[in-house]
Amino acid sequence: MDMYIRVKRIKTTYFIRCKPSDKILDIKQYLEELIDQPVNNQRLILPGTGEVLDDSKTLADQKVENDAVVALTLRKDDNEFEEVNIVKPSDFYPSRDSDSANW
Amino acid sequence: MKKEDTVKLISAEGFEFVVDKEAAMVSQTIHNMLTSPGSFSERQHGEVTFPEISTTILEKICQYFYWHLQFASGKETEFPIEPELTLELMMAANYLHT
Repeated sequence: MDMYIRVKRIKTTYFIRCKPSDKILDIKQYLEELIDQPVNNQRLILPGTGEVLDDSKTLADQKVENDAVVALTLRKDDNEFEEVNIVKPSDFYPSRDSDSANW
Repeated sequence: MKKEDTVKLISAEGFEFVVDKEAAMVSQTIHNMLTSPGSFSERQHGEVTFPEISTTILEKICQYFYWHLQFASGKETEFPIEPELTLELMMAANYLHT
């Protein structure tokens, strides 16, 4: 096994096994198996920079390395893509400050 | 990668991690859940919920599964563990026989 990436959307993380020479389209085809969404309805984005990954380029071309986190967004009913939405565990527990504001 | 070859691991906070069965079976506990005879709901739905394992720890464990597979195939890298996670991670690893 060469490498894996972590594809995240909302509260779900998909661990995808892949090779540096895999194209982004290949990754989307792996995802299609798992999420029943055609590749055309998927967009993969680097959460750090917001860069949209190009179907025809490879993971290595776009500096996507082992254990990298990639955001998945899906096409909405109005044909636009949704915004990147990755929930972190820390978002899930409201901080003490926001708690006390509700009292 | 086929959907049937994956398993969904669910953390205490309801976060989901979809991993290859081969990777998850690095854990003897998950291996037993997925392979023992009978109709365990875990086996039928391909989902295992861990109400006692937090999201951060469960993700770390999934990363460990894949690191383990990479290591087994000859890629010798270190597995990084943040000091603040050590205790909780050891308790989870003990439970999972990992």
